[in-house]
Formats: sequence, C-alpha cells, structure tokens
Amino acid sequence: MTAIRAVTAGLALLLAAACTAPTTPRSQSRSSGATVCAKPSGRLPAQTPTTIDVIEQAYHCILGNYYSGSTMDARSLLTAGFVALTRELNLNGRDVADATMPALTGDRKADWTAFEAVYRKVTDQVPDLRDKLAVVTLEAIVASLGDNHASWAHGGGGRPPDFYDGDGYGLGLQANVNGPQVDINPGTALPPLFVTTVEGGAAQAAGLRPGDIIESIDGSAPFIDGKLTPVIAALYPRYPEADPVELRLSRPGTGRRWSVTLKPGVYQRDLATLQGVTSKLLEGGIAYVRLRGFAPDAAERVFRAISRLRTGRTLTGVVLDLRGNGGGKAPEAIRLASGFVHGKVTAYMCTVDAKCEALRTDDTVELLNLPLAVLTDRGCASACEHFSSTVKDLGIGHLVGTRTAGLISGPAEPFQLSNNTMLAFPTRHHLGPGRETIDRIGVPPDHHVPLTPQDAAAGRDPALAKALTLLEK
Amino acid sequence: MDLSMRRILAVAAGLVVLAASACSAPAPPRSATGPSPTPTGPAVLPATSGAHPVGTTILHVNDTSRPDPWNLDVATRELKVTLWYPTKQKEGERAPYMTPKESELFLKGSGIAGVPSDTLSKTRTNAIKDAEPAGEKLPLVVLSPGWTKPLSSLTSLAEDMASRGYVVAGIDHTYESHVTTLSDGRVAECIACDNDTDPGFGTRVVQGRADDVSFVLDQLPMKWDGSGLIDRSRIAMVGQSMGGAAAMAAMVKDSRVRAGIDMDGTTYARIPKSGFSRPFMFIGSELHVPGHDASWDRDWKLLTGWKRWVVVKDTVHQAFTDLPLLGPFLGVAPEPGVLPAERGAEIARAYVAAFLDEHLKGGRQPLLEEPSSRYPEVELCPEHCGKS
Repeated sequence: MTAIRAVTAGLALLLAAACTAPTTPRSQSRSSGATVCAKPSGRLPAQTPTTIDVIEQAYHCILGNYYSGSTMDARSLLTAGFVALTRELNLNGRDVADATMPALTGDRKADWTAFEAVYRKVTDQVPDLRDKLAVVTLEAIVASLGDNHASWAHGGGGRPPDFYDGDGYGLGLQANVNGPQVDINPGTALPPLFVTTVEGGAAQAAGLRPGDIIESIDGSAPFIDGKLTPVIAALYPRYPEADPVELRLSRPGTGRRWSVTLKPGVYQRDLATLQGVTSKLLEGGIAYVRLRGFAPDAAERVFRAISRLRTGRTLTGVVLDLRGNGGGKAPEAIRLASGFVHGKVTAYMCTVDAKCEALRTDDTVELLNLPLAVLTDRGCASACEHFSSTVKDLGIGHLVGTRTAGLISGPAEPFQLSNNTMLAFPTRHHLGPGRETIDRIGVPPDHHVPLTPQDAAAGRDPALAKALTLLEK
Repeated sequence: MDLSMRRILAVAAGLVVLAASACSAPAPPRSATGPSPTPTGPAVLPATSGAHPVGTTILHVNDTSRPDPWNLDVATRELKVTLWYPTKQKEGERAPYMTPKESELFLKGSGIAGVPSDTLSKTRTNAIKDAEPAGEKLPLVVLSPGWTKPLSSLTSLAEDMASRGYVVAGIDHTYESHVTTLSDGRVAECIACDNDTDPGFGTRVVQGRADDVSFVLDQLPMKWDGSGLIDRSRIAMVGQSMGGAAAMAAMVKDSRVRAGIDMDGTTYARIPKSGFSRPFMFIGSELHVPGHDASWDRDWKLLTGWKRWVVVKDTVHQAFTDLPLLGPFLGVAPEPGVLPAERGAEIARAYVAAFLDEHLKGGRQPLLEEPSSRYPEVELCPEHCGKS
C-alpha cells in the first residue's frame, strides 16, 4: 500500500509541479488564504520537521486557496488526517487511549481547535513518533482532496547518490500499464500486462524484451477477474525502494516461460531517447514529430522541427506522437494548438462557482496548414490532454491510439509552508473547449488502436500505421 | 536563460522545485534600472599579474568525422578556438573583446537592454592581437566557458594564465552560446538552448564538449604555427559552470588532459568506479558548499588523487568570469553583499595559477595547503568550510 502511494505521490507530484501555470496574483482572494501561505520565491531554505503548526497552516491554505476550498466541508480534511494518524499509531503498535476523533461542528476554526487539542494530547504521549505522525496526517489531508494535481512535497528520497543526469531508477522497463494507471486510474488498465520498452538496468541485464508478458509479480497475478491488482506498483519502485522484484514471464511465439528477479537501481538510459523533441520524415512527405513533454519552448521546438523537414520539399501532413507525454506547461499546449487553428478557445479554467476564464489560441503563431494526426495513449497527461482535447473538439486533426490519462484537474499552483515544504494544488479546474470535464475521464481517440504484445515484440506500431492511412486519404 | 538559476533551484532540493522552475518564466535579468549610474567610458579588464606580455589569435577547426550535435543540418563540427600565449611583443593593437555583433547577440540573449548593443565590443583587453608567441616547452591549458556564454566571458582569466607562461586554448562550443562567429563570418546562435530542459541534457553537452576538446588537442599542432612551443605532456583544462563540468568529462575521456579545474559547475561525467587519480580542483561559489550540489558530493568521493574543493564566500555563480567586472557597464547592479568583482577575479586567478603551477610546473603551492591570510574569503572544503 505504501509502495502504491509512493508511486502515485511521485507521479502526481511531478505532473502537478510540471504544469504549474503562470501564477496569477491571489491577494484579492479570501484574506485568510492570502496570508496563510505564500507563493514560493527563489531558493527554498532547508526543510524543517513538520509540526502541528505546519498542518494548521496547510489546512487553512487549502481552505483559503484550493479550487473548492471555499465551499468544501472542512471536516472531511480533519477526518482524513485523523484516520491516518490513528492508523499510523496502530501500525507502530503504539495506540493511544486518547486518540478519539473530537466532535466537529462545521465551524472551521472551532473544529481546528478541537482537532489540534486532541492531536497534541495524542502525540505528546508518543514523542518519538511525532514527526512521522505529522507527515502521515498532512499527507492524508492532501490526499483526501482526491485531486491528481494536489500534492505535498516534503523530504522524500531525493536522488540516489550515484545518480547522473539522464539516469533512470527502477527495474529498467516500461509496461503497457503505466504510472497513473497503477493507482490514480486503475480501472483503465487491460490485461495482459506486458513489457513495452526495455530502458536498461536490471530488465536489460535479464534479457527482457518488448512483448514479454508479465504473468505474475512477486507471486501475485497483476489482474484478477480483469481488474488490476495493487501488486503492479512493484513494477515501478521509486528510490529508496530497493527490494528485488520477482517476475514470471512468458514470451509469445516461442512459448518460453521463465522467472527473473530484478533488483531496482539506478540505470543509464539512451540519451537520444530522452530528447524532448525528435523528428523524421516519413514516406509520402509526412513529418513525424515526437514530443515527450510540454517543457518551455516545446511548441517552438516542434514548429522548428516541422519547418526543417519542410525546407526544400512539400509536406503532406504531420504525425504528432504524444504517447507517454506527461504534460508540462499549459501555454505550450495552447501555442502548439495555435499552429493548427486560430480564433478558438482551447480550454476553460473554472472556479468552483463556475466562473470560467477562456484560454484562447495565440493567433500570432503562424498556421502550418497541414493535415494532423495525433498519437495518444494512457500516458498522455495534463497539458498533453489539454492539447489532445483541443485537437478533438476543434476538429483540427485525428486522434489515434488509446484514451488519454485523465489527469488534468487543473493547473497546480505552489504554496510554501513554514517548514519550507511545498503544497501544490489547483485553484481552478480545467474544462475542455466544449466545457467538458476531462479529468479522470481522458480524451477518447477518434480511432481506437491499442498496442498488443505481438506488436510490441515485432516492433510494429499499429497506431502510427493507422495515422498514416488517415493522412494519405 | 542560463543554467545558474536552474541550478540554484535544483540545489534547493525537491522534484517540485526543479519541475516548477521548468514552468516558471525565465528569471528576468537583474534590473537595469538600479540607482548606480553606468560608468562612462569602456570597461577595462584588470592588468595581468604574470611576467609576460600576452598575445592572442583565433583559429577555426572543423571535425569532419562527426555531425554537429545540435544543428541537424550541419554534417561536421566546426569550432572556434581562441589562443592566448606569452609574447615578447609589448606594443600593438589590443585584441577586441568581442565583435559588435557578438556583443549585440550576447546582450540580447542575456536579456540585457538599455545600453548600446556594441558596448561589450569596446571592452579594453590586455592581449595583443596576433602577436608572435614566445617561450619554450610551455604548458597548455584548455579553457571552456559556461552555458550560453561565449568564451570571451573568461578573457580576464585567460590573459592572466598566459602572462604566467601558459598557452591557453579556449573553445567556443558552437551552438552552445548566444553567439559564436564561424570561419566564414556567419554567426551561430544558441540552438542547443532549445534542449536545456531535457533529461540527460547536461550529460549530452559534456560528452560533446569532451569530443570538442580531444579534437582541438589533435588539431593544434597542424593549425597553429606556435604549437611547437607547447609541451604536449603538460596539458590541463579549466572551465566555468558547464565548462567546468566539461573539464571533468574531457579528463575522463582523454588522458592527455592531466589536471583539471571546475569553477562552480554541476558535473555530469561518469568518473569510473575504479577511481580517478589525476589532480582535480573544484572552485565553488556559495552554491557549492558541501551538501548543496549532489554532483560535487558524489564526485568528491570518486576522486582518488590530489584534490581540492575551495569555496569563496559571498560569491555568486558568475563570480569567476568577466561578467561581474562588466556588469556596471551594462547597467547590471551587483547583488547586495557580494564580493567586489575585482576581488572575485583576483581570487580565481590566484587559485587557478597555484593549481596549474603545482601540477604542470611542479612544486607545492602553500595556497592550496591551508587557509590563507591573503585570501580569508576562501575556505578549504569539505573539512574546513561551513555547511549550511
């Protein structure tokens, strides 16, 4: 359970932070929120332990600034925190007789006072657990928002001491069930579980190949009755998790079945596969551009790649490969869309009382005037879904592949807490160009073309093939 | 945007901070609207401290064995090399610091406005253009600048090393700087800047720079008439920021480079686990006290030979370059509380020279053995410096 949470937290944190929108001043918002936690600026001093005062600050920070902070029942935050507190006591074999949830009235201030009194009374009896209890309590409060762009960055494993820029950590493989599906959206994964990419490390050393079917993980089936089981989290350990993982594998075509034990660790990755934008010219004058994330300048890099392929020849279309694109800056998604359409709304940013700001195309971007096909999968998240929903809703191209991740609650905005940890969450929620909710639902492709183990083993790319046939029409 | 800001944030720990920095708008340059007036007249680099007058010349070399790593439309790797060396010639035309075009593009790339675009080209240097080199069996120092910075940003240090009897071969790594003038007069801008948010980006850059260094070492005898004066068994490399990381990478790759200095650069090259015994020195600003940049902590343990880690108090990332010296002429006010520009340059010169003298000329240098009363700003780390 911890492992799952860690994977999820890590991913959510990455996504949340990566798609922080340009900050809008919040000073005009509810005054309690404006003063209780501030936007971080510059270098963060060293973190100090989390205390009840930090939790209190976070509680008011959420109520004052979070998307639905003004309307939510604050008791749900305190209850979630208290549940985690009592579970942690129990896990440590140190339950406390006074650890009874105080009566709450719905008055945010009074309820906090009641909560704090019990919290102090309980933690004073287990002083050696104090730091840990504070951490699990605040983690649970943030998790209770059920928002994939809400996170609390604190301590954490950091980086392994032998880490180099570009390295990966883990088993060295990617499977068809990716990070967000492991916990945030488990209902979206389909059996069988199979390897899609061998990046290096233990998986490479053990001779795994794309297409290898993972029949069991540490002796447990990844799917039971077609539903993903929590054991899947073991495929994606995060530092400092280092327990070996046993996989039972089969290789379609050869009938081979065998087991391997893979030890998580730092591994070197092929630097060429890490480049944010790669491109090539395909037959028939089609520009293929792969964009791995919506980093700053992502749109310009895509435009330059297309322009370069266009020099001295006539292009007939563009395939934009956004599979595995975990998002990034919303303005880059808007800018990229603006190469294909002008004068339109690409998304709405809405407050809980349905006041929405329309995000519009940047019509200073030159139109490419090229047919477009976009490849998506369950790894296309956040800003990637902003772009994909724009393509679909505005009819500027074909979406091919599988549904996007459904990880786009809204742009996470960071807030610094007094112990120099960082809380981040959306103050507004994201809706698509048709004012539809994309979060947790994803953007369905126009053409559903999933990858099979046989395709992966043979190096076939049926989604790309489909995209090419669409562009040739 | 340069990497220093990103580094500050990265060091601050936490994925969130790192990722958030990738999202936030590039830090605006320090305001040109500060109260301190822009001095009149051109900037003048500090006089050199060594015994020899200094000459300088520019070479262009072209590696046809590999494509340019950044410009996909260029099938070779062209590099501009600037040499500084001892000369007997005392009079002559001083070499320009930059061309007007280079000044314009560097200022533009750095987000500096409000001064004439050719301001930096008027900076007065000490080196005499194309002077006849003099000396024999001179040690060679390869010099590599920071990310987005032209090599010119290290001119003061280069001139000083040459005045002390070193040949300095500085490399402008094409497309990794806001401006590099190529052999045919075309100007290469920072194409590689597009990639600087990619994972593995630093690793890619230093691998390419190590290749650049090896190629320049290969070519120097053919391309420069003065190369007969060089003792090729005595080669070191010095770099600032990404250039310092490149010094580490070049040493790992090419055993001709016997000793190296990294001035405030996060490192990226993999030092073999078996160890690395050639002499190496870190010179850090306050960003590089132990515990602040995991790459230095990591590498420090892997360095098995002569090594030093010095940190200069009250300094910023660019402290060991010309940029603080030039700041007042660009309307860029120094950050409050930082060491005066001249002092930063003086300390860099003294410690770089001591290192080179010890390892290329022979003889122990007391400056590198213990805290110095002449330079109380300098701390010997990791044992004797403040962790924060």
